[in-house]
Amino acid sequence: MKDPEIDEILRRASQAPHEVYPALLDRIAGSIQPTVQPVRPLPPAWVLASGLMAICAAVAAAGAARLGFFGIQHLSALERALIFPALAILIWFAATACVAEMIPGSRRRMAPGSVLAVASLALLAVFAFLFRDYHTDHFVHQGVACLAAGLLHAIPAAIASWLLLRRGFAVNPVAAGLVAGTLAGLAGVSMLELHCANFEAPHVMLWHTAVIPVSAAAGALLGRLRGLRA
Amino acid sequence: MAPKSGAFGNRGHNWVNSFSPMHPDNDLEILMARYQQGDYGAATALIHRLSPQLHRFFLVQFAGPGDADDLLQETWLRIHQVRHTYRSGEPVLPWFYAIARHIRVDHYRKVRRSTAREQPLEDMPQVPAQSSSAPGSTADLDALLAPLPASQREVVEMLKIAGMSLEEVARATSSTVGSVKQKAHRAYERIRERLGRVELGAGREGGLP
Repeated sequence: MKDPEIDEILRRASQAPHEVYPALLDRIAGSIQPTVQPVRPLPPAWVLASGLMAICAAVAAAGAARLGFFGIQHLSALERALIFPALAILIWFAATACVAEMIPGSRRRMAPGSVLAVASLALLAVFAFLFRDYHTDHFVHQGVACLAAGLLHAIPAAIASWLLLRRGFAVNPVAAGLVAGTLAGLAGVSMLELHCANFEAPHVMLWHTAVIPVSAAAGALLGRLRGLRA
Repeated sequence: MAPKSGAFGNRGHNWVNSFSPMHPDNDLEILMARYQQGDYGAATALIHRLSPQLHRFFLVQFAGPGDADDLLQETWLRIHQVRHTYRSGEPVLPWFYAIARHIRVDHYRKVRRSTAREQPLEDMPQVPAQSSSAPGSTADLDALLAPLPASQREVVEMLKIAGMSLEEVARATSSTVGSVKQKAHRAYERIRERLGRVELGAGREGGLP
């Protein structure tokens, strides 16, 4: 059997009349009638994505202002020129993905897992290129402190992002949680890059970058719990 | 990985609505905009125009007739709750189908949870789709799509029955165009294989070599 023949069978099936009981349709229409009110559509996707980006920048700047801008003060011009634009691009990328997850029927350029992978691997590549000090002084102690600080700053970023997108509707709560967690994790990493003056490659590559997958996993878990509860 | 375009193209098969029914999307967009403005007439018109295809979408996914009716009602209630998430200028059908798909997935998850001990979902008998529509109107389609996994079935249904484009199906299923092409390609392979077996069986019964 050839494809056109299968097409023909499907065409016949598609042309077959399929009607639903009018009483059912009347019941559906009747059930929504009392609450048919004008609603304000969501703003354009770029407006929401810009809002998410502003939230991430604000959280990172506020966190670094509280803890001290030691990191950015000690970074070279090249390091600043590579790290912060890379973070800005990745945050924009994750923000647009996050907005798409909250609007049904949106175009998806990349799967949520790929957004996480791209964000983590791109930062790893930038850090690996820039930092060549392979000492591991106080590796775990300082690392855990940075991971905790990054995650603590991811939380307000996630809450503010949720407030901005609360009128949206996630058809896949796990995917939405994963992408939102990735975005919040990037806000946490941005704060760390502004604040942390430890430029040992293993420290930055492991503990700073780890904020993103940990935050994404927490987001996915919350999304799953929300989906189960719903 | 998406199938290579060359291999696809060599088949000469156009996945993009080679015979799709016409969809006056502009009308739907206008109705949707009026619905968002609080026009009950537009809401009713949308319900009457889109319910048959959404109902068939549920039936094709092997929902029983009662389930399909329930899912349809639930879908419209959800559509009503989140109607503000539709943005004018965007394709309408993917928005409706994305919500319908969410309701279906949610429904099956609940069914699976409630029947997990007694009867795993995979072993459930596939209910022949007898809808509240005209008898027999979906019988051929059900038989044809029966061997397909749910993900391929929904892609074929959206592409070939609902008449959506590849881009629209990708939006509705939260996937990429490449992934939709791949699923459609595999679905056709499976249907071809099954129909080939049926023809071979019929030929043998008829005494052919």
